[in-house]
Amino acid sequence: MRNVSLILKQTSRLVLILAGFVVLGKPAYAQDPAKGEALFKSNNCGSCHKIDVRMTGPALGPTIASESDEAYLIKWIQNNQALIAAKNPKALAIYNQFNQSQMSVFTNLSDQDVKDILGYVKDQWKKVQAAKVAPAAGGGAAGAAADSGPSNIMLLGLIGVIVIAFLIILVLNRVIGTLERLLLQKQGILPEDSEDEATDKVAVDRLATVRLLAKNKKFVFFVVLCSVIGLGSWTWVTLWNTNVHQGYQPVQPIKYSHQLHAGAMKINCQYCHSGAYKSKNASIPSLNICMNCHKVVKTESPEIQKIYNALGYDPQTQKYDSTKAKPIQWVRIHNLPDFAYFNHSQHVKVGGIRCQTCHGQIQEMQEVYQYSPLTMKWCIQCHKRTEVNFKGNAYYDRMTAVHDRIKRGEKVTAASLGGIECGKCHY
Amino acid sequence: MESNKKYWKGLEELSNSTEFVESNKSEFAEPLPIEEILSGAGLSAKTPRRDFLKALGFGVGAVTLAACQKVPVHKSIPYLIKPEEVTPGVANYYTSSYNGQAILVKTREGRPIKVEGNPDDLIGQGGLESQAQASVLDLYDVTRLQNPILKGDESSWEAIDNFVIRELLAIGAGGKKIRIIASTVHSPSTKEVIASFIAKYPTTKLINYDAISYTGIIQANQNSFGKAVLPHYHFEKADVIVSFGADFLGTWISPVEFSRQWVSNRNIKSLESKKMSRHIQFEAGMSLTGTNADTRVPIKPSEEGLALINLYNALSGTTLPGSKALSNKSADTAITLVAKELLAAKGRALVVCGCNDVAIQVLVNAINSLLGSYGSTIDLDNPSYQYAGNDAEFVAFIDEMKRGEVDAVFFMDANPVYDYYNSKDLKNALAKVRLKVSFADRIDETSALCEAVTPNHHYLESWGDDNIFAGYYTIVQPAINPVYNTRQAEQTLLIWSENPIKDYYSFVKNNWETKLLPLTGLSGQSGWEVLLQKGLIKTANTTAAVYTFNKDLNVIAHNIVNRSSQLITKGGSNIELQVYQNNNIGDGKKANNPWLQELPDSVSKVTWDNFVAIAPKYAEKLGIKEGDVLKVSSENYTIELPVLLQPGQAQGTVSIALGYGRTASGKVGTNVGKNAFPFYVFKNGTFQSSVTATISTTGDTYILAQTQTHHSYEGRNIIRETSFNKYLKDPSSANGRHESEHKTYSLWNEYDRPQYSWVMAIDLNACTGCGACVVACSAENNIPVVGRDEVRRRREMHWIRIDRYYSFKEGNENITEEKEIDQLENLDNVSVVYQPMLCQHCDHAPCETVCPVLATVHSSEGLNHMAYNRCIGTRYCANNCPYKVRRFNWFNYWNDSRFDNYLNNEHVQLVLNPDVTTRFRGVMEKCSMCIQRIQAGKLKAKIDQRPLKDGEVKVACQQTCATNAIIFGNVNDPESEVSKALKSERTYYVLEELNVQPGIGYQVKVRNINETVA
Repeated sequence: MRNVSLILKQTSRLVLILAGFVVLGKPAYAQDPAKGEALFKSNNCGSCHKIDVRMTGPALGPTIASESDEAYLIKWIQNNQALIAAKNPKALAIYNQFNQSQMSVFTNLSDQDVKDILGYVKDQWKKVQAAKVAPAAGGGAAGAAADSGPSNIMLLGLIGVIVIAFLIILVLNRVIGTLERLLLQKQGILPEDSEDEATDKVAVDRLATVRLLAKNKKFVFFVVLCSVIGLGSWTWVTLWNTNVHQGYQPVQPIKYSHQLHAGAMKINCQYCHSGAYKSKNASIPSLNICMNCHKVVKTESPEIQKIYNALGYDPQTQKYDSTKAKPIQWVRIHNLPDFAYFNHSQHVKVGGIRCQTCHGQIQEMQEVYQYSPLTMKWCIQCHKRTEVNFKGNAYYDRMTAVHDRIKRGEKVTAASLGGIECGKCHY
Repeated sequence: MESNKKYWKGLEELSNSTEFVESNKSEFAEPLPIEEILSGAGLSAKTPRRDFLKALGFGVGAVTLAACQKVPVHKSIPYLIKPEEVTPGVANYYTSSYNGQAILVKTREGRPIKVEGNPDDLIGQGGLESQAQASVLDLYDVTRLQNPILKGDESSWEAIDNFVIRELLAIGAGGKKIRIIASTVHSPSTKEVIASFIAKYPTTKLINYDAISYTGIIQANQNSFGKAVLPHYHFEKADVIVSFGADFLGTWISPVEFSRQWVSNRNIKSLESKKMSRHIQFEAGMSLTGTNADTRVPIKPSEEGLALINLYNALSGTTLPGSKALSNKSADTAITLVAKELLAAKGRALVVCGCNDVAIQVLVNAINSLLGSYGSTIDLDNPSYQYAGNDAEFVAFIDEMKRGEVDAVFFMDANPVYDYYNSKDLKNALAKVRLKVSFADRIDETSALCEAVTPNHHYLESWGDDNIFAGYYTIVQPAINPVYNTRQAEQTLLIWSENPIKDYYSFVKNNWETKLLPLTGLSGQSGWEVLLQKGLIKTANTTAAVYTFNKDLNVIAHNIVNRSSQLITKGGSNIELQVYQNNNIGDGKKANNPWLQELPDSVSKVTWDNFVAIAPKYAEKLGIKEGDVLKVSSENYTIELPVLLQPGQAQGTVSIALGYGRTASGKVGTNVGKNAFPFYVFKNGTFQSSVTATISTTGDTYILAQTQTHHSYEGRNIIRETSFNKYLKDPSSANGRHESEHKTYSLWNEYDRPQYSWVMAIDLNACTGCGACVVACSAENNIPVVGRDEVRRRREMHWIRIDRYYSFKEGNENITEEKEIDQLENLDNVSVVYQPMLCQHCDHAPCETVCPVLATVHSSEGLNHMAYNRCIGTRYCANNCPYKVRRFNWFNYWNDSRFDNYLNNEHVQLVLNPDVTTRFRGVMEKCSMCIQRIQAGKLKAKIDQRPLKDGEVKVACQQTCATNAIIFGNVNDPESEVSKALKSERTYYVLEELNVQPGIGYQVKVRNINETVA
């Protein structure tokens, strides 16, 4: 109730002040939006505030537009703690509304600076509102465009039906033609076609060439050899590649782009796949990791909405509702058989192998596919080639035999340390 | 000197029966029906060619179709919000406690998969018994109740709470009695909860009811010293231990703790300091403890009392009334000799008795007092709280019910309808009770009679605490959210007693913060967190005082003589019957656990059944053969069970194991064996396990699933044994290694072991044969349970087995082949050696040589690897293995309806260790020396950038062994524990003469035989 009366009071004050402005014409001090923009950015206001929607802090546009008491705003922005400490009712209200999370103090800003910022915010807010009106006007068109989604499918279906119908007509026409001709032939109306004879002769001639070739033993041998080699190598390759799914690229429930995150944004692989350094599983990140950024980044994207839906998260209230949560079912791309034990931390943390060695240029993949064949041959080849990274790892200190080999200048590979023994991966 | 002593696993092996010889010729029990196919219908059939073509066509078609399949879609579902402490693929360990013993629970992705001992635990110091190891499987038992039951139907907690509270208030108003029947409550917080319940309903009383009771000891201590306690025994302080039927290494009071104490005077360390305790066992049936004793004397239950009287006489020099010499001459002489030894070890001696008779226990107290045991080997001032049941109280409770004085009964972890001797009487009495509630996790024998069944959590889902002996407190914390809609019994009681604290977690925490944590100077939240990390607290002991027995023994002696005379039978088919617990099934509460059912009984090696054990000679006299089904009748009860000829069983007695014959335990345990609890009698105020009975054959026969002669060594000499005296003269006396050195040749290339050479040392002198390692191995390595029928076909899958060898007990002379048959007379006097047998990881492995596909090969770390995915199942390796340790997967045990009692269930499969492959039908498997643990240990060291420490990697069998009989490690490191152990003079290798160079060294068994007694 107190809030309501407060709002009423503020509104009445706003009306009065607006009236005052109208009377006075221009405000006493000018607000420079350009300067304000620079200040807005240099003070990192954007890390907690957005113009149009609530973030960590309130949405600036509506708040500032509705706040008439500029002096209060300036005080708040310069030192909100002082206001709260002084138990200013307005300050306390907003402080409590945002779960008592403290806003940074900006005593470095002069009154004029703050005014410039306010000017910039108001400017932006107007632009946003104008932009909102425009799409509202164009709403009909957008709606139609959205409707065309299903109609596209219908169109395609229709085309398909037409094509099929056309084919049927064609076939039927041919059948009718043949039948008619047969009928006429039977009635003796149409004589046997001499053209047919001619083509038959040509066919006979063709067959004769084939027969001739068939009698040529060298040629037959050559053909048989070719086909044996061809079929044999085809079988060989097919058999080797049975259950090898290199290039497997299933459709994932969320269109997540490694190209964007790992490539353009240069987010470290570990940030999401933290297990790779400490566990056998690299682990698909849990959604709370996505939310570290996507609480504020690209909140409007339909793909991000999928994350919100999965979590039962409401971006407006910023609350989680675990009853609505339903986990995302990713499709596993790299499937090792159960009898092969693979440990990421052994390779990534101990061996210092880059992710790209096995997973390809992941930072360039829009959608991830299986880059490596994941066959045992592939594993073993790498174990035979890769030199063990001893440096600075006291684990290898006691391996005197290995040290001798290093001294002799021999290569010490994973394989020479027992890395291709059956039991190292199969148990 | 190589021993010529003959060791045998079973009587059939000893007598070398033709059947045994035949069955041993083939590697597998059932030969492949090749002959049948070749000679029978196979070739003469009319259309084998057409059938062949059909099968071929179908096969090719099916394979083609199967090959058309696209990439199978595997879903990968990450956490929505990952708990910070969980990393998929990395195990978390939580402290908890099992029956008061501190444990660590290994969880993967939130589900408990293994229970391990807490190294700080005062009971086992990291060792665990088989039941504790198997307890994790009970969590995934699908027969557990999934919802509370009200009047036979599934109901909701709200409805049940309303019903029970309404009833309780009405009963409270009526003023009639309320009783809580529980297996001894030793949890401080549970006691508080019950106190709060009693405060709300003052007519309530807690009755501790133990299926196997120790009332005799508790009452005797009350009578002798005015302290009604179960003492804390210290076997480690005893140089001479004499046990009369107390199976303290297997089942008696606290077997894990006692095993650890007992072995401390017989292990490598003790022997190297030329010290070894002496242990003499007098008992009727062969118990685990009896088989481990230096000297074992079979006596009848009726002779037990007289023997104790004679012992007292010999020790004190007086003669109690009613004393007379035993008819059993050897026992009689043994008693006099034992008395001398005991007197010589005064203050370092201990006499224990497993009998539950108060008079006998009073006499034992008097003997211990004479020997100065109080204050040294027996501690009455820091007592054990493990058992506090009072048998008379429970019997009185039944009378109360019959008189209609009781209106409500609550059963907590108690199942008296199954394990009370007169369950018919109990049932009738219960019918008169208005409200019966059970907290059982299933509809068992007792809860079937209850109006409300409010299923308790499994202990791995629970909060709680335990205090099993003075000053030792452990915490129980959950390792998983409740799997089903169950509720902790304590919480249920709190709700029903309308306690202001409704949540048991807060209750426990509160209780600790106010009462227990201050005992060790911990406090507040930080103290609580320290406790949760450590799992236990120990407060200082009070000094054990010296107690002197000064009561009159005349009446006691009179009672004992009376009791004995009641047990004496005419002989012939009138026999003395003794019921006992074996150490895997125990009192039957765990009967639904397939790991325990499949674990062979330590002594008899029988799985999935109980039986009538009878002495071979006695059976011969009565014309009873192995496998006959006998009818055993006591005054009140009759059952039919198959016979097992048990060497060492006292003449004129039979023994039957308890814990079998459950009628409502679940899919696995129901109707396995027969219930022997009704043979109990209530006499002199306690439940007693010996009665007179008659036996007769029924004419039926039954084949027990007994593993004893599976995997035979065909008489090869693989056991080395010596006596302590000989050991003192020459420590290497019996290892057989300094005999004629053969020139050896090798067919194999020698392997380089640049870094590790994993080996094992097994001390035969420390192994008690309890079988905990077998269960630990099953849990760690996803070993399937095959069931009774498959065990009969010799298809058990255990990677480690405990071979039990009998030999005739003879002073110095060896028994030659000719004399063996004469010795059949002497089958009472056998001694036993246990030998854990597992893959020996031979350097010259015979299995590797014969594998046509190189599925089993050697590694640079000295291990014999087995690649399942490469194995094609020729079974050549099993044929060529001299140790018989390879197992063949005859079925897909995890996907075959014939194996419903274990893995063929999605729910139970959650217990599988994700780091170990489940094997497919048609492949061989065997001990891998827990290679997954070795690899994990190495990886951890690599990540931490430090060398691998000795003892950091423990294999599952080693980890659970309470007596540290198994030591595993890197022999390349001369400082490692295993290197030192293998340097012992006692070390020998099994079948060393084959030059397969096994990786497991055994240490000679040393028996502290006093030549005069033996």
